[in-house]
Amino acid sequence: MNRHDIADQPAIRPAIRFDRVSLSYGPGLDILSEASFELRPGSMTFLSGPSGAGKTTLLKLAYLALRPTAGRISVLGVETGGLDRKGLSNLRRRIGVVFQEYRLLDHLTAYENVALPLRVAGEHERDYRSNIEELLEWVGLGDRMHARPPTLSGGEKQRVAIARAVVVRPDLIIADEPTGNVDEEMGERLMRLFRELNRRLNTTVLIATHDLGLMQRTRGDLLRLADGVVMRAAAPVEQPGDGAA
Amino acid sequence: MSSSRSPLLPKEDAREAALFFVVGALCFLAALAGLAARSAYSAADTWTSAVTGQVTVRVRGDDDAARRAVNILKSQPEVADARALSREERETLLKPWMGAAGVPADLPLPNLVAADLRVQSDDIGPRLNHALTSAGLDVTVDDHVVWSRGVRRTTDSAGAVALGAVILLLATAVAVIAFATHATLLARRDIVELLHLSGARDSFISGLFEQRFLMLGVQAGTVGALAAFVAAALTLFALKQSGGDGVWLLPELSLSLADGLILGLTPLAAGLAAMLAAKVTVWRSLADTV
Repeated sequence: MNRHDIADQPAIRPAIRFDRVSLSYGPGLDILSEASFELRPGSMTFLSGPSGAGKTTLLKLAYLALRPTAGRISVLGVETGGLDRKGLSNLRRRIGVVFQEYRLLDHLTAYENVALPLRVAGEHERDYRSNIEELLEWVGLGDRMHARPPTLSGGEKQRVAIARAVVVRPDLIIADEPTGNVDEEMGERLMRLFRELNRRLNTTVLIATHDLGLMQRTRGDLLRLADGVVMRAAAPVEQPGDGAA
Repeated sequence: MSSSRSPLLPKEDAREAALFFVVGALCFLAALAGLAARSAYSAADTWTSAVTGQVTVRVRGDDDAARRAVNILKSQPEVADARALSREERETLLKPWMGAAGVPADLPLPNLVAADLRVQSDDIGPRLNHALTSAGLDVTVDDHVVWSRGVRRTTDSAGAVALGAVILLLATAVAVIAFATHATLLARRDIVELLHLSGARDSFISGLFEQRFLMLGVQAGTVGALAAFVAAALTLFALKQSGGDGVWLLPELSLSLADGLILGLTPLAAGLAAMLAAKVTVWRSLADTV
């Protein structure tokens, strides 16, 4: 391969790229301070850090719920700073998000909550009905698909939220403590789902967690957030104060 | 079989029930004002058309003078027909002032001649007056123009006031709906944010609210319009039943095309106003989000 060949290779754009990103809620209230990191496309990455370190805030920046105070963020190869509202909507449709607090709509059934991103995208129900039913069966909610969130347990809500995040087969999945409210067996099962999406569909996965065992059992890259700074870590090591943020 | 056809916005709550009542009440008042304006114009048309095209001539002198006046008037090209009013007809005209006892038999009544015109013109009165006085008759010609203008001016003013009331009520409804939409948007910010993060466009989110408030406006407007119709009909019916002196001022108790149009347009106007208020409010609110 000569120099010309190398120059012709398309540059591999990171799935997520933070370039000196800062976020503050006012003077002295810095959450992130010039954070820089990249996630390879198709990578599986865990984000850990002490409680209150700003993991959720970092994820919000990555799934475009917040704008940084300074710095540049690109997601799935798209520079987000210059995007108009339509462009942001299009990019968000390629991201599946599992929120820490589930964010299910109480007036919709589990099935309808999972179908939400597809309705938003304008797809017809006849095209996705069987997929959703199959997905809900897979996460162990086949008999609860007509139940509404107020009647679901925390673990069931978690699984509905995960099913909703993956139903569109997104290019990027961002999950905030996705196994925080499920037992170990279900946690393993859900992680296998993420892993399957990651391997089979080359989906990039970013998971914020403080579950050391989960990180050790699931192969993936590690990012550690502390004092507003993001660092790559070689292996998961329990740190004093690690917890949900 | 599963279905995902539930509305993305939750069904209406107590807040929207209150809004429904307010919009319904505003539509009721607006429809009543519209009907009042229509009645004023209709009454003016009825009153003025009854005298338009007619001239009344008071002839001083005996019956012979009245007969001469009739002949002179009939010879005028603008006059289609003319006839002297009988004593009974003249007594009928005095009835509102003389009461049920009627006109005393020995009371002298002026001779009156009624003429139907082929064409109405502003100078018909003076021209007929000239023709009659030139023949040596002592007459007063009343072409009703001054009275008609006064009636028209009054009803135009009443109509303008009613129209102003309709516009004011509509503006109030829009403001109330905009306020309610904003409150709803704040109360359901979690849903809006979730839709946003799921990739929903502003038009999609706005459409949910527009559809909701369009239906609310149409339904509240329908209730308001029906209530206005019932209220107007009952009022007219009660007045006619009571036989009050003011009944003659009111138009016929029947639903005209114009009334139907006003009542039919009320829900549509309310729905459109609600939809537009919701659209503007939602878009302005969404503009502040990421």
